[in-house]
Amino acid sequence: MLININNFLLALSLFFIVVIGSITVYSVTSIDLNYFFRFLTISVFSIILVSTFFYFVNFNRIISIGWIIFLLNILLIISVEFFGKEINGSKRWLDFGFLSLQPSEFLKITFAIFVIQYLRYFDFKFTVIRSVLLLAILVASALPIIIQPDLGTGIVFIAFGLLLLFICGLKFKYFFILALSFLVLSPVIYSYGLSDYQKGRILNWFSSEDTLAESWNILQSKISIGSGELLGEGFLGSKQNEFNFLPEADTDFIFSIYAEQFGFLGVALILILLGIFIFSGLSGFRQKNILADDYSAYYLGIYFLLVITFSFLINIFMVSGLIPVVGLPLPFFTKGGSSLLCFSIMLGFIFSAKTYLKT
Amino acid sequence: MKKTNFKILQDRTWLLSIVIFLLLVFALSRFFYLQIIEGRNLKVQREANINTFEYIYPKRGRIISSDGYVLAEDIKSYSIAVDLEEKPSVSSIDLLVKIYPERLTRSYVEESIKLSIKGVSQEVLIDGLNQAGISKFLVRNGELAGFSVIEKYNRSYVDHPSMFHVLGHLGYVNNSDINFFRTRIDNFKPNIWQLVGKSGIERVYEAKLQGVHGKKFFNRNARGNRKVLIDEESFKEGEEVVLSINYEAQSKAFDLLGNRKGSIVVLDLKNFSIPVSVSTPSISANDLKGISTVGYKALLDDSSRPLFNRAFMGLYPPGSTIKPILTIFAISNNLTNWTETIDDDGFFRFEEENRVFNAWKEGGHGITNLRKAIVESSNPFFMNLATRYDKDKLTAFFTDIFFDKTICIDCYPQLFSPLIDDVWKQKNFGSNIFKGDIINIGIGQGYLLTSPLHLALMAGIIAKKGEYNIPFLIQQNEPLEETKKINTNISDDDWSRIHEAMIGVVYSKNGTGYRINPGELKLAGKSGTSQLKKFTSREEYEEIRENPDLRDHAIFIGFAPYDDPRYAISVLVENGESGGAVAGPIAKEVLLELINAD
Repeated sequence: MLININNFLLALSLFFIVVIGSITVYSVTSIDLNYFFRFLTISVFSIILVSTFFYFVNFNRIISIGWIIFLLNILLIISVEFFGKEINGSKRWLDFGFLSLQPSEFLKITFAIFVIQYLRYFDFKFTVIRSVLLLAILVASALPIIIQPDLGTGIVFIAFGLLLLFICGLKFKYFFILALSFLVLSPVIYSYGLSDYQKGRILNWFSSEDTLAESWNILQSKISIGSGELLGEGFLGSKQNEFNFLPEADTDFIFSIYAEQFGFLGVALILILLGIFIFSGLSGFRQKNILADDYSAYYLGIYFLLVITFSFLINIFMVSGLIPVVGLPLPFFTKGGSSLLCFSIMLGFIFSAKTYLKT
Repeated sequence: MKKTNFKILQDRTWLLSIVIFLLLVFALSRFFYLQIIEGRNLKVQREANINTFEYIYPKRGRIISSDGYVLAEDIKSYSIAVDLEEKPSVSSIDLLVKIYPERLTRSYVEESIKLSIKGVSQEVLIDGLNQAGISKFLVRNGELAGFSVIEKYNRSYVDHPSMFHVLGHLGYVNNSDINFFRTRIDNFKPNIWQLVGKSGIERVYEAKLQGVHGKKFFNRNARGNRKVLIDEESFKEGEEVVLSINYEAQSKAFDLLGNRKGSIVVLDLKNFSIPVSVSTPSISANDLKGISTVGYKALLDDSSRPLFNRAFMGLYPPGSTIKPILTIFAISNNLTNWTETIDDDGFFRFEEENRVFNAWKEGGHGITNLRKAIVESSNPFFMNLATRYDKDKLTAFFTDIFFDKTICIDCYPQLFSPLIDDVWKQKNFGSNIFKGDIINIGIGQGYLLTSPLHLALMAGIIAKKGEYNIPFLIQQNEPLEETKKINTNISDDDWSRIHEAMIGVVYSKNGTGYRINPGELKLAGKSGTSQLKKFTSREEYEEIRENPDLRDHAIFIGFAPYDDPRYAISVLVENGESGGAVAGPIAKEVLLELINAD
């Protein structure tokens, strides 16, 4: 049964987030109304199309070729080094003419399918060897992204990979060991592993001085957000955007423009919608299914719900100056083929995972 | 009992749900902080981001002559510049070059567009267009996207060169201007005012003429290449300054001097305002606009010094024109009277220092009294008189008649005539004043130096029998509020006798100014020559005849009409040789022009 209260709330909150996202993208990038409808249509259609596709495809079949998909993804990332398009000094995109894709974005999905395939084979029983192997594969597959160079996406990927392993039941001690070794190794990584640009970003986050060039974006983002005050400046009322004071207003910092236009009430609305989205989504995976003892679809569904939610939260923490700028797209706001396709696939999994178990 | 996979999944999902809930609350409080608590401050920062303004340069006040001529005014001029918001298309570049083929080339326009984009600055393509020039642009404005018109005011002066020294000129503010204006103008803003008066009326009345800048308020973008006008505060035009200068007389006076170097200053004795102040040679301030460095240097190096205002700055020995003035001193101190005589044989023997002074007239003037000494300009008489002068009393008298003092309220720049006393001579020659020095001063030679403006003032003081006012250049219709008087004790009869002697200069057959032939003009005066080179031999005399630059300066001071003095005048013609024959007739013409104009 597809229509229940959880699914209804999930779809409704999602719909509003997508509409608000489209409105915001429209307000930032164009004063042409066609653009708004195009973005909205593309978003809605790609979500419906991709979701429907995964709804009808046999879940098990996808999982059973998990390692192949994962491997292909890694190869695509590596091929970016050779055939990729260079934007802002880093190669991340593959140009397919009609759209350019960022293969690293998809690694979050393909790694998850691979891990589920692997763990399902062992009935989700973690041994030391399996734990270490999965962690090693996680870190190893992040390396091609980090050397692109795209440290932000790499770190986010590792974080999401750990989230997946956490859901799957990786023992707590591994997380402690990882945290401890990270603390010990961080000075070494900082000294030898990072470019000056990356060091600047991290330093900026720790210091309160506004002298570093990096802080300009954050300052302007905070100014945008704050200027919204309670009620906001109204639709199309973002002066920070109108006069180009906020760089990357149409991608990473789009939420600041939203906050300037719709104020604290608008921000609260989005956060409430996000809350409805995640909690109605998660509660769908609460019931135990008597007919099946394979919960692979649950793992993926929960994981993708969390990825969307955390992406959202990380982005708004980032634009409000709480964490360093990592260049993480805001789901359903950021205009960008890869991220939209990515989130659509995740939604497809979320919806089909629920129904998969219901059959 | 071992947990099932499902139980582990459920537990961990619960844990993550709590984390997400906390993060949502945290996010909400973060935005509450930024938008509600800090919102006002951040909005102020945003306004600072986008709000900017530009000054609108005010229209500078006009300068008008007392007879109604506009001597200086701001005229609107137009420039065409590259627009920052829109890049000009190829067709609009072509069209612009077609409209102004004599001012523009394609490559120049393209280069300027590049510069404009690079520096985010409006590069000006054509400057100083008038109404007709810009209308060619405006009628095809629609096809000329990417170019914009900038309006501004340009200072325009009368073309006749007679006004340059009085009016002065404008220039960009420099450090010396900052020092000059800072103490004089309360709201002086060097970085905003841009153009200020460098000399003359333009400088002295800067505060009045400048006006108040307007402001254009914009919203601007981060790069600065887009501006949206939101508000405008119009400028306040500078005030008009009406001068006491009578332009008709002024330009006539200038033309009378012709190509000779010299100066004419006239005082209106109603209030001692200046209706004529001329210095030749001169230029028009219009000639300085857009002048090349080479051209400007040539003007500065010109030996005739056209940029130098001889009327206020030139210091010349007054020669015999000092005689009626020293008569005031001599009579006031009972050093002589109208009956005392000497025998003038053409020489003055100064026995104390065992020196013999040659007088200008061979054979001398014979038996000479004070009147004759003025009319015929006897040097021996005044030299003899000078031997009786008390050094300190003379210094006091000179101080009283504006030596080492401001001679004019609003003449800028002006040089003070040096006060020749012991202090001055110690400083310049390391010794005190000798008797011989005073004898030279007694006939207006030696160390004594006065400016033409100063001479005119002294002529005015004689004309008004000791009354005076400090001269000025702006129109003032009220007569003197309170009459100031120089510190003397000579009777009205003595004053009349001095006047009578100066009338005699012009009207007696022996008078040095007899050749002036003043006609209907009731002119009183005194001529003088200021010696540049003494000659003692025939050869030296020949040299002077060959080199005009060594010839004496001709000076004439006077006033008219003599029975009710209205104007006082000083005329100085460099190397003119004869005060009576050269400077006097010019004085007559100028005064006639003024009196006929009334």
